Amino acid sequence: MAEKIFKDSFDALVIGGGIAGGEAALNLANNGFRVILVEKDLSIGGKMIHLSKVFPTLDCSACITTPKVSEISRHPSITILTGSEVKKIVKRGKNDFEAMVIKHPRYVREEDCTGCQLCEQACPVVVNDQYQYDMVGRKAAYIPFSIASPRVAAIDIENCTLCGACEKACPTKCIDFTQEATEYQLSLRSVIIATGFNLFDPLKIERFGYGKMKNVITSMQMERLLAPTRPYNTVLRPGDGKMPCRLAYVLCTGSRDITVGNPICSQICCMYSIKQAQLLMGALPMADVTIYYINIRSFGKGFEEFYDQAKGMGVNFVKGKIGMISEKEDGDLILRYEDINDNVVKEASHDMVILSVGVVSNPDNAAFFDSGQLRLDPFEFVCQTDLLASPARTSIGGVFVAGTASGPMDIPDSILSAGAASSEAMSYIIRK
Amino acid sequence: MAGISTKSARILVFSTEKISDPAIDMAGLLKLHYPPTVYTISVPCSSGIKPAWILHAFEKGFDGVFIAADGSDCTYGESCTVKTGRLVSMTHEIMKEKKLEPARLRMAAICSVCSEAFVKQIKSFNQYLLQMTQS
Amino acid sequence: MNRKLGVYICHCGGNISDYVDVEKVKAAVEHDEGVFLARTTMFACSDATQKEMVEDINANQLDGIVVASCSPKLHLTTFRAVAERAGLNKYNYVHANIREQVSWAHSDNKTGATEKAIHLVKSAIARVRLAESLDPITIPSRKAVAVIGAGISGMRAAIELADMGCPVTLIEREHFVGGRVAQWDLLFTTDQTGKELVTRLYDDIAKRSNIRLLTGAEVIENTGNIGDFTLKVKVTPRYINERCDEGNLQRAIDACPVEVPDDFNFNITTRKAIYHNFPSEYPQYPVIDIKNCTRCGECEKVCGSIDFSQQEKTVEVKAGSVLMATGFDPYNPSEGEFGYLQFDNVVTLPQFKRIIDMCEEKLTFRGKDIHNIAYIYCVGSRQVEAGASSAGGSATDRYEEASRDISGENRYCSRYCCTSVIHSAIETKKRFRAVNNYHFTRGIRTYGKQELLYNESLKMGDIYLQSYENDPPSVIRENGKTTVRINDIMTAGKEISVNADLIVLVTGMVPRSDNRIASLFKLPKGRDNFFNEIHMKLRPVETVIDGVTICGACQGPKNITESVNSSLSAATKSFSYVSKGELELEPIIARVDAALCTWCGKCMEACPFDAVKKVVDGGKEIAAINNSVCKGCGMCLPVCPVNAIDLVAYSDQEMETMINALAEDIK
Ligand SMILES: Cc1cc2nc3c(=O)[nH]c(=O)nc-3n(C[C@H](O)[C@H](O)[C@H](O)COP(=O)(O)OP(=O)(O)OC[C@H]3O[C@@H](n4cnc5c(N)ncnc54)[C@H](O)[C@@H]3O)c2cc1C
Ligand SMILES: Cc1cc2nc3c(=O)[nH]c(=O)nc-3n(C[C@H](O)[C@H](O)[C@H](O)COP(=O)(O)OP(=O)(O)OC[C@H]3O[C@@H](n4cnc5c(N)ncnc54)[C@H](O)[C@@H]3O)c2cc1C
Ligand code: SF4
Ligand code: SF4
Ligand code: SF4
Ligand code: SF4
Repeated sequence: MAEKIFKDSFDALVIGGGIAGGEAALNLANNGFRVILVEKDLSIGGKMIHLSKVFPTLDCSACITTPKVSEISRHPSITILTGSEVKKIVKRGKNDFEAMVIKHPRYVREEDCTGCQLCEQACPVVVNDQYQYDMVGRKAAYIPFSIASPRVAAIDIENCTLCGACEKACPTKCIDFTQEATEYQLSLRSVIIATGFNLFDPLKIERFGYGKMKNVITSMQMERLLAPTRPYNTVLRPGDGKMPCRLAYVLCTGSRDITVGNPICSQICCMYSIKQAQLLMGALPMADVTIYYINIRSFGKGFEEFYDQAKGMGVNFVKGKIGMISEKEDGDLILRYEDINDNVVKEASHDMVILSVGVVSNPDNAAFFDSGQLRLDPFEFVCQTDLLASPARTSIGGVFVAGTASGPMDIPDSILSAGAASSEAMSYIIRK
Repeated sequence: MAGISTKSARILVFSTEKISDPAIDMAGLLKLHYPPTVYTISVPCSSGIKPAWILHAFEKGFDGVFIAADGSDCTYGESCTVKTGRLVSMTHEIMKEKKLEPARLRMAAICSVCSEAFVKQIKSFNQYLLQMTQS
Repeated sequence: MNRKLGVYICHCGGNISDYVDVEKVKAAVEHDEGVFLARTTMFACSDATQKEMVEDINANQLDGIVVASCSPKLHLTTFRAVAERAGLNKYNYVHANIREQVSWAHSDNKTGATEKAIHLVKSAIARVRLAESLDPITIPSRKAVAVIGAGISGMRAAIELADMGCPVTLIEREHFVGGRVAQWDLLFTTDQTGKELVTRLYDDIAKRSNIRLLTGAEVIENTGNIGDFTLKVKVTPRYINERCDEGNLQRAIDACPVEVPDDFNFNITTRKAIYHNFPSEYPQYPVIDIKNCTRCGECEKVCGSIDFSQQEKTVEVKAGSVLMATGFDPYNPSEGEFGYLQFDNVVTLPQFKRIIDMCEEKLTFRGKDIHNIAYIYCVGSRQVEAGASSAGGSATDRYEEASRDISGENRYCSRYCCTSVIHSAIETKKRFRAVNNYHFTRGIRTYGKQELLYNESLKMGDIYLQSYENDPPSVIRENGKTTVRINDIMTAGKEISVNADLIVLVTGMVPRSDNRIASLFKLPKGRDNFFNEIHMKLRPVETVIDGVTICGACQGPKNITESVNSSLSAATKSFSYVSKGELELEPIIARVDAALCTWCGKCMEACPFDAVKKVVDGGKEIAAINNSVCKGCGMCLPVCPVNAIDLVAYSDQEMETMINALAEDIK
């Protein structure tokens, strides 16, 4: 299938270019090791690059991510493959791995594209923009998002009609429909798995109405509505473009819930919801924000203070479990919930509902190694086989895990976990 | 809201890179407002400010100069507090000679999380300077 | 000098441009002297803009740039690197902070904010016009790291550093390693024991020849700086020879007449003045607690290994970097707080951990059987401002109510304790018969996979109650019985009382009470009084003291996994300071004008680092600065009577031109 085959060797393969993978790659590279970073997506940066601001400091997420991303992308010791997938890794011996990676065609020559966006303007096909979590459209010829790295175009071949408009528009003639997949055969001395997490799919909880009721959105969509690179310039109800003024958060959506097979707590959703509530109070000064919770888990450095700050700003916290959500004709939503403080079932009307979706594992991890070699935990996160003394270790010597690939974590914890993974990889390589 | 700036005093703040500047940054982060005619120049350590710079600021029309000193948190040593104090009193002497009201130069130790203290100090300094220029 | 400057003004996505009219700023400065181009940009720090800057510099032969964006604490190094990539000396870039100190600080006043931004950008332009190209100063860096504290964090970091080929001195104040973890028996969430874990790490340390372990060792002096720290460490002897006969030693312990409260068991038991830290004592031989020893000589009579002639020593440790892993103290409730030290069946969680470890078949405390256990959560954590909580505390002969004041400084949640207490409660129920657990919580925080433990405990029938925010449970002693009473959220405010045999105060983590080490290293503390990192996300294990890293619970509450993650991150960072054998330092140092200097020696007196020496230059005595010692504090500047000293990049000319620009009226 692949036309070209490249062979090369590196000290470490890092799978996944989110904040954890990026941090691990940088640590290794800054200490003189050669790293190959394989990212499935068209840009590195992971979830974090799409966030608005980050708790508990309210730093702008892009401002923290983009410099890291650019440091990674121009580091002389880091080679990045975006739009690429690790197909198979084999451990041949200590300090000796072999990996096969496929780089899928982008149909644009990365080196030549200037990111001028003329192809985007020329392309007649409009589809949902996955980077804005389907809230707006994009073209089939497109730059993934404004702060993507690399910031170059790609052709979405599944939706492309091969009309050739982009080819004509491109001033550097870098669109190439004949591109094929490239195969990389890599010799490696260690592997770091930093494939991150997936968001819980709220379609699985029908009674919350996601997908049917337009004004029920996910927290990730709200991140986009609040981000500096947001789709509209303000927060709007997707149903009718009205400014919402009574917003509700449904915490623990898909977490701590045996009925969806996920009993664990996602660890970040309480805090990101509190963060979004604070940002909403700033963006929509007239709005009321209510957070429906079971327990508020503000456990980290500065978190409890952040929670207090939200209460001080007037965010309304209701200890209650949401039973179901129904829609009124005008698009407003009725939440039926069990008020735990009063021990009765109540109803409340809101005009926008945000589902604080949880963290679930990335199924890709199972396929990297031959069956069973890489042990997973009961929730299919990568198993940390020496959780207390060496949290980055996995069931395979020389293979380490960083960030949310091993379970829910916020950004500071992901970064520290990446520090541990790169540290272990370094001593593994040096020790021989 | 526009035009507020004319109603506040012009204050030059000498902050320090590692200690008081982070506190002033955090004041911004926490949206603790203070007059926009307050400008900071950061230096490595408050005990390294030359009186000549302060006098220059008055000459150029600043109403007040505020030294956001390192205090006991100084990374260059405990002597910072004493030395900053010394340079301030030295400058106060010169100001008296030049018939400048010494109270137009103020100093307070601002630690790296003293955002509220900073804003409080600046606001009261601003009040003082406004009253002084009016009378 | 005729300069050709580029000026970039950042929107920061709106963080700046929502309050500062960036286009107006651009228009106000683009005709300033030397400005060749001025641009606004969505994200100055983005890769695309960085590339654009490099192109601009190269295409237009710019020799200076100004970036007006967020605080230089975030991106000074980013833009310095941009300059360097474009072949421009990085000191020809000047930063203007128009976010933290303008748009955010003055979000209430857009006109004022815009004017201030213009002033700051103009002053940065004025400064860059005078900026010089500077080369970094290279200093040697000793390939060795001093790790302070041999808890789980310090031990783990030491092993990792040793495996990277870096010699380590591991300095532990106590006579035994392992820190707090040695004190816990079963650990969440793996059910390993603290002893197992500490044993394994101690063995790993013993195997590595490049780790030097000092116990009973306390740092008493710190001189030097990144690349070259010199620590003076006071090492107290054990007064026992390393090769000793165990049987005799036990006899010596039995013979010792002194009994003191046993720290290891949080004072619920006593030990002798000669003691083991059973069950996890490493190194594996006892110690004489010389402070409490009366020199009666009883032990010497039965054991030949005892040697009172051993002397306290001072050891010098040299290292290129210092890694701080000094851990935490459990919160110590005050007398009467929820009945602590007031009722004899009120203990803290650490004490409870020791009690269940020491009980074998039956759970007893102070001779009484324990069946009903009440756990009061968040003691010493999540405290509220004084006045916000109800105090309680009335007493008659038969009725006594403990204080339930939850006000205090510790606003933070200690994060480990919900999981730890639930795990311990499960273990207690499994190991001992007829135990009932009652949890008086303020909302359970078993985050992540720890939630499984909470589920398990619910399944085992533990009772969970939750108090209202400012209405903590009360502890009452009546007719010799202790009751915990709560207005319970979970049952809509119903008052519930539980008769408890043992009350466990789930105490949080606080910074070490003996934290002299912090002042020795001038480590800054955060709002929670734990050591503070530079930036939680960008530089989470670095401190403002160059070369000193922090990790584990001394930086803030953490469980073991989290402590080790941060410890390995700190090890990597410390390693990067020393691995190359040399370091580049900022060339911002003092400079003496030989023509003006008359050698009065005042600068030499002022310098805290001994960087100034008298030299003879062309027959004249003048001051000279030692470049690799000068830290660039500038303390020598104001003392010079003839104004002969300047700080590089802060010269009189530069400072005055900046002040001029700030003072100028804007049309
Ligand atoms: C709505 C929301 C708001 C949040 N807000 C905050 C906040 O304010 N503060 C905070 O601290 N945390 C926040 N978080 C948490 C934060 O997003 C995570 O902690 C962080 O993104 C984890 O980083 P990661 O690198 O482990 O994973 P990810 O960000 O998921 O990155 C994983 C990367 O690996 C790539 N990848 C996946 N599979 C493969 C494969 N097979 N091959 C190659 N590459 C692959 C992915 O494309 C991705 O780039 C928030 C999360 C959400 C959902
Ligand atoms: C009751 C309780 C139960 C717990 N149970 C668990 C559990 O089951 N699972 C889990 O994951 N976590 C648990 N924890 C958390 C765990 O104890 C911490 O994560 C861990 O101890 C942190 O390790 P550390 O090395 O950072 O600090 P510490 O364990 O405090 O070690 C610090 C070390 O530094 C030394 N030191 C201090 N000052 C100096 C100095 N000036 N010079 C030299 N040395 C110095 C100390 O003597 C000590 O040896 C529990 C905590 C408590 C309070
Ligand atoms: S038109 Fe060509 S150069 Fe421009 S973005 Fe599209 S592919 Fe890239
Ligand atoms: S972090 Fe909060 S919202 Fe998320 S699963 Fe845990 S308790 Fe629920
Ligand atoms: S972890 Fe639980 S017990 Fe500990 S302070 Fe936080 S909420 Fe309270
Ligand atoms: S700048 Fe500071 S360190 Fe340097 S010579 Fe002057 S006083 Fe000494």
